[in-house]
Amino acid sequence: MKKTAANTAGVLLALFFLFPTYWMITSALKPKGSALTSDYDLVPLAVTFSNFVNAWTKPGFLSSLGNSLLVTLTAVVAAIIVGITAAVAMSRFAFRGRKSFVLLMLVAQMAPFEALLIPMFLMMRDLQLYEHLSSLVLVYFAVTLPFCAWTLRGFVNGIPVELEEAAMVDGCGRWGAFQKVTLPLLGPGLVATSVFAFITAWNEFLFAKVLIRSQDRETLPVWLSGFQTAFGTDWGGAMAASVLFTVPALVFFLIVQRKMVAGVTAGAVKG
Amino acid sequence: MTAVKTTETAAPAGDNTPPALPPAVTGGTPRRRRRGGAFDRALPYLLLAPALIAILWLIGFPVVSVVVTSFRQLNLGELVRGEIVWTGIDNYVTVLQDDRFWTVSLRTVVFTVAVVGVSVGAGLLIALMMRVLSPWVRIALQIAMLCAWAMPILASTTVYQWMFDQNYGILNKTLVQLGFDSYAGYSWFSSGTSTLSVVGLLIVWQAIPFLAFSLYAGLVGIPRDLYEAAGIDGATGWQTFRAVTWPEIRSLLMMVTFLSTLWDFKVFAQIWVFREGGPSGESTTLPVLQYLEGIAKSHFGVAAAISVLMMVILGLITFQYLRRLLKTEEGKL
Repeated sequence: MKKTAANTAGVLLALFFLFPTYWMITSALKPKGSALTSDYDLVPLAVTFSNFVNAWTKPGFLSSLGNSLLVTLTAVVAAIIVGITAAVAMSRFAFRGRKSFVLLMLVAQMAPFEALLIPMFLMMRDLQLYEHLSSLVLVYFAVTLPFCAWTLRGFVNGIPVELEEAAMVDGCGRWGAFQKVTLPLLGPGLVATSVFAFITAWNEFLFAKVLIRSQDRETLPVWLSGFQTAFGTDWGGAMAASVLFTVPALVFFLIVQRKMVAGVTAGAVKG
Repeated sequence: MTAVKTTETAAPAGDNTPPALPPAVTGGTPRRRRRGGAFDRALPYLLLAPALIAILWLIGFPVVSVVVTSFRQLNLGELVRGEIVWTGIDNYVTVLQDDRFWTVSLRTVVFTVAVVGVSVGAGLLIALMMRVLSPWVRIALQIAMLCAWAMPILASTTVYQWMFDQNYGILNKTLVQLGFDSYAGYSWFSSGTSTLSVVGLLIVWQAIPFLAFSLYAGLVGIPRDLYEAAGIDGATGWQTFRAVTWPEIRSLLMMVTFLSTLWDFKVFAQIWVFREGGPSGESTTLPVLQYLEGIAKSHFGVAAAISVLMMVILGLITFQYLRRLLKTEEGKL
């Protein structure tokens, strides 16, 4: 009895969480004109892909998609490379100031970037980077770096240092031991961390809006926020664009779904 | 975590290592590897240098800069001329004497508390519920929550705008179908409260999955024999929750509550995209106010003062969060 009630509630909740995704996809598949109707149309009666073609060919879609990919990938690759070196230093070496550095990383990870909007804007202007995609690369690099370094440090800590030492006893140099032993074992951690960083940068809206004004340089979130300029009341087209925007994030999300919870609450679980 | 598992499976690769090397070979404790050489001693600093420079330049400098800017008069004119005009605490006086600032601050706090309260409460309930669901329902619910979680913010905001559309939105159409005819053509964005409720629903909808998954992970970790013991002692459901579940999950719940507060306080994109803080400024929160003053009106000094006040609030929450985190095992430096 109690179980039936719980299961019913569970199904209803599943519908609640799924509905917007369902509605986004079905609205995108509806033929033009049949989205804007007062008929009650919970299930699409006809299916078309013309909305996707329409969204894909809208002015600005492809360029903003390209800009988003470029900015996000550059920032994440940079953050991962710099993050690994910092993580290895923090977890494999004993040196003066290590503790304070680890603490700095932790604090930097919590930095309220939204409150740094004004100085970032002024700084990018002084550096003559305002209106350049490189300003966004720098901001996203800064946003994701502390997180990458901190999380990768956890993953490096999980690899026994004895493995590296064994390799060094067998004649590997320090770099060889890192490259041949630590790096391969770090693989899953690297994937999880970079996907996290990717999604953070992929989603970012405030800085993308403030630092880039010209249309041919804007990123996908900003382009989509002004979809009414592109689509008017063509909700089918707007939904198709949203689907195209969601797909990369969803794919990456599914890859690392399990590590996601562990990553964000690292530490909290063991309380 | 995952990395640990990976090493276990890969451990045979290191089989030719004697199980315990004498200290002389490893050079004292495993972590210490100072074997003289100036390069070896400098190596950790060299490895840290890029990250340290980046953090000081791109996070440290802006933090100092925002405080400095908040004591300057800096509007578009001063910016273009490159003038530096110190005004002491004038910007703070302007901000703190402005009724709008207090209205907006109060609104931001109420909004944050409401959104965090609802999402953490619902997340906990769903996590508790997931334990008693049949496997298939549980998997369906988890997949549905993943879809909500994974949707980029701007995509979900666009979908919600469509669902709440005045004329053709599915919500109004459904309400009319159910017999509430007054909802035909009803605008959900005619007042600030109504707009913020829709934004709040959107945020809660996307926040619950993370909360439910992490709390569920915490619940699954509670040893079964504790529940068996409670059952033998004849505890009721509520007593079991109070005596067994609550103490085990309390610290995790505190952590996710702090994180949610930090995230929800800073929300900008959703509020801005719906009605740009309107109608007539009624859905403006602190991050939106900072944007309007600083970027839209080019009052950088005043906006910096707002930023500093925001940082103080966020800093207090972060401090509490970090204090708790550092007490846990993973947070060990």
